[in-house]
Amino acid sequence: MGLLAILKKMKQKEREVRILMLGLDNAGKTTILKKFNGEDVDTISPTLGFNIKTLEHRGFKLNFWDVGGQKSLRSYWRNYFESTDGLIWVVDSADRLRLQDCRQELASLLVEERLAGATLLVFANKQDLPGALTKDTIREALELDNIKTHHWCIQGCSAITGENLLLGIDWLLDDISSRIFTAD
Amino acid sequence: MEAPALPEWLQRRDEERRQQVERRQQEKREQAVAEEQSDFFQSAFQAERAAIEQLLAPPGGAPAALEEAALRLQQLQKFLSDSVRFLPPYDLRQAQEALQRLQAALGDGRERLRPKKKFAFTCRKKEASAPAEPSAPRAPAALPPPPAAESGISGLECETLVKGADEVQGRDVLLSHLRNCTVKLLGSPSTLHVRHVRDSRVLCGPVATSVLVDECAGCVFAFPCQQLRTHRTRDTKVYLQVTSRAILEDCSGVQFAPFSWSYEGLDRDFEISGLDRSKNNWSHVDDFNWLVRDVKSPNWSIIPEKDRITHWD
Ligand SMILES: Nc1nc2c(ncn2[C@@H]2O[C@H](COP(=O)(O)OP(=O)(O)OP(=O)(O)O)[C@@H](O)[C@H]2O)c(=O)[nH]1
Ligand SMILES: [Mg+2]
Repeated sequence: MGLLAILKKMKQKEREVRILMLGLDNAGKTTILKKFNGEDVDTISPTLGFNIKTLEHRGFKLNFWDVGGQKSLRSYWRNYFESTDGLIWVVDSADRLRLQDCRQELASLLVEERLAGATLLVFANKQDLPGALTKDTIREALELDNIKTHHWCIQGCSAITGENLLLGIDWLLDDISSRIFTAD
Repeated sequence: MEAPALPEWLQRRDEERRQQVERRQQEKREQAVAEEQSDFFQSAFQAERAAIEQLLAPPGGAPAALEEAALRLQQLQKFLSDSVRFLPPYDLRQAQEALQRLQAALGDGRERLRPKKKFAFTCRKKEASAPAEPSAPRAPAALPPPPAAESGISGLECETLVKGADEVQGRDVLLSHLRNCTVKLLGSPSTLHVRHVRDSRVLCGPVATSVLVDECAGCVFAFPCQQLRTHRTRDTKVYLQVTSRAILEDCSGVQFAPFSWSYEGLDRDFEISGLDRSKNNWSHVDDFNWLVRDVKSPNWSIIPEKDRITHWD
């Protein structure tokens, strides 16, 4: 049995999934993670390094890696790519002026070899804001339709109200598990 | 009647006291373990780092040494990943930077070993240095049009503007490209972005979530908020209430004082915003460009009390 097959087996046994959350600073990554876990979201500070959280959901063990998105931290993102099953790219839907930065950063991730096998979920976050762009506008601005290398999906959501967070995560899990945990 | 109750009550008190002592001891032990692990990490990491540096140091750099360095570097990365849970953020970033330097040195070493073509004109590629400067302004055509609901002020000079709650409350407000202006926002926005603003005053009611300041200079700001991120800004004074944290990136000469502006309706707007009025971390500022622990960043300071604005109008 090759190494990959063994790893696959091990994962299958534990039903363990590794999810990497990235996006520009202020996008709402940490807030999404805490809200999803039912924690208080009023006390969150900008992330200086990263947070790891392990959650049980639908019989999966989800290991979330939430890495800070400030510009000076972005060169460290690569340190977290290894064995990522799902990539969640979080967008502040009301931050029009940084959408181009956002597109470029995402594009540079998608060519990374070590993320080649990961499923991509884009959260168009902050939909509760009156000035938020719709998920379709974001889809165009990020040129998601050009992505041929990854399974992807975009979901509008709000980390403050919790709207659609579960929907997004469930899609991600369905996609990952159909790839990884299928019977051999 | 009361006599038999007394010992029991005493006993209970005693039991509580004992448990409390035990809890404290336990906490102390855990703290000690965390510190110990962190110390252990530091010494092990530094030792291994030095060893790898040695392997990579020119003029050595034999292929075998490079391969050994590559392997040990990989292990060191894993060691760091396994240790992240108990490492303080600054230690972590310094370790990450050290790894990155080693990685670069390894790349250089491999480059040196690569056989050189003879008689070929080489065209040295410019190092793709990190763009410290803000990238060229994007063509506005590439931006999606602002949704009708976005609230904002942009492209003004030498004006004073006051916006009431009807235009501010619950909105995402964008102030951009202002010069010599005074802007007062009398309400509680959901979030506030301030971009390319020079020599202006921006006073705003309690912001329910975060404030983002980018490329400003010579300004005075006053607002309460949950988070503040200040990027590429210089010589600016911020009268701040922040319930979690304020951070800086690529800034200099930013000064802080506690929020002191007031207007009629501020109390009500605080309630609307949901901010905890008793919390203010205005003087705890994290600078992403300053990694030295226990030494304050030179990029920001506190406004001396005698120099603070007390009368705003
Ligand atoms: N209105 C609104 N605000 C949100 C939403 N999600 C997050 N925020 C706010 O946006 C700000 C940034 O959120 P964080 O979770 O700290 O963002 P982050 O992506 O983790 O940022 P970094 O750690 O700097 O990379 C906070 O003030 C949040 O309260 C949302 O869905 N709606
Ligand atoms: Mg964060």
